Amino acid sequence: MMAAAGRPTEGSAAARRDRRDPIASGRLPATTLARVFLRSFFLQAAWNPRGMQNLGFAHAMAPALAAIYPDPRARARATARHLEFFNCHPYLAAGILGAAVRLEEQVAHGEIAEERVSALKQVLAPPFAALGDGFFWLALRPAAALLAAATAPALGLWSLFVFLGIYNTVHLGARVWLFAEGYRRGEGIVAAVAHAHVPWATALLKLSGAALAGILAARSLLVALAPPQAGAPLRLGHAALVAATIVGMTAILPRLRFAAALYLSLALGLAIGSGFF
Amino acid sequence: MAAGPLSPLHLLQFAALSALVGGLAAIERKGALQLMLSRPLVLAPLLGWALGDARSGLMLGVPLELLFLGGVNLGGSIPENETLLAGALTAALVPAGLIGGRGVDPALAALGLALFYPLAVVGRRLERAAELRNGALLETVLARVQGGDPNAVELNLRGLWLPFASAAAICAACALASPLLAAVRGACGPRVVLGLEGAWHAVWALAVACAIRAIRDPRAPAIAAAIAFVALGAGALFGSLR
Repeated sequence: MMAAAGRPTEGSAAARRDRRDPIASGRLPATTLARVFLRSFFLQAAWNPRGMQNLGFAHAMAPALAAIYPDPRARARATARHLEFFNCHPYLAAGILGAAVRLEEQVAHGEIAEERVSALKQVLAPPFAALGDGFFWLALRPAAALLAAATAPALGLWSLFVFLGIYNTVHLGARVWLFAEGYRRGEGIVAAVAHAHVPWATALLKLSGAALAGILAARSLLVALAPPQAGAPLRLGHAALVAATIVGMTAILPRLRFAAALYLSLALGLAIGSGFF
Repeated sequence: MAAGPLSPLHLLQFAALSALVGGLAAIERKGALQLMLSRPLVLAPLLGWALGDARSGLMLGVPLELLFLGGVNLGGSIPENETLLAGALTAALVPAGLIGGRGVDPALAALGLALFYPLAVVGRRLERAAELRNGALLETVLARVQGGDPNAVELNLRGLWLPFASAAAICAACALASPLLAAVRGACGPRVVLGLEGAWHAVWALAVACAIRAIRDPRAPAIAAAIAFVALGAGALFGSLR
């Protein structure tokens, strides 16, 4: 394990040397941090039931560990620390990754015990996972997709860019910010995330999503009602089917399996559409 | 849109394109990036564009997106694989639409969804198989790291191979099956076509219901109903004014 280096004065020969030596300077080069960040996009490449994202986490940490621990045996020991069980939301894990890099530097300096790195991951992963699942999977993605679906008749293929633009502006911005804050603050990443107003934004996005779903419901009814050709009668049977399916399936879907709901809807639509009823 | 059979070379090109796009989407879905490029809303138009009909891809992608909006990969739970279904469906239906000369119409879309939906379940099983294989990969990595080789973690990216290969093979097979689907659609009489159009309306209705449930907020159904009534009222008023 490396010993802590003293702080050299600015412009001195020691300071110039320290800029080349990440351990002595206490800061990793930006290129190394960028490599760690880019590897965080492959966190779940080898997701497995035993360690979940552990292999991906260790893989992402590898460039930082190579810079911090030049000795292969010390590096292997540090790598083994990051092969412990790890499961978090893949985006919010960027914050833990940044903080883990900072803590590994401190371990290498002898400032903290190596157990602190594992403890940080174990303590932060579950709440970060819950926060990320609630915000990204259950609020932002549905809201962005519903907005794209609602605007698709007007925007056509541009609606894809509505979805990808909204989603990834927030997603990539959050990832970069989390990683940078994690590296800057170490264990202080918790305070940064706590002040990010995530629960408020989640609630707002869910309400927006519900409103957009209402617009789509109205549009589905109007499309079903519209006659196939000009002058033909309104398709009241189709509109009734759509209204009944929306109301009925919204009520029973959690209890009815999706496959059953799909084939039941298809069969009803086939029967009504072909004039069987 | 010119109707007619595709040449074997054309069909092979479609199969290769479907395999490439479908395979890349399969790894983007969970193992890499997660920029949502593999969501049905994006994948179906993208693959449709690669096969020559992006609009048909969009027609398939929007309801598929809403149908699977609530499918979330939380911890060890695995939802149905919407990416494999979207890739396979687009790979089969867009060439079938080109062969038929109508593009992907509601009747073909409903027929395709009814036939290909089980692939979403197959995709979930394949994902479980990939996870078990990754478990074996982890054992290898652990042994090598304990032996003093920290570079063993580079094996992480090998976990992407099985999802890529399996999705690519399935999407290619679906593209090759497209003439069969075009023949089935062509054999449908007018009454069956009307029925399949009704089925597509029902799919849209189910998709809206799934989207409301996906929000997972007890207030969502009431808000959606209120907005729907307002939108219908506004639509009726606008229609009468015109």
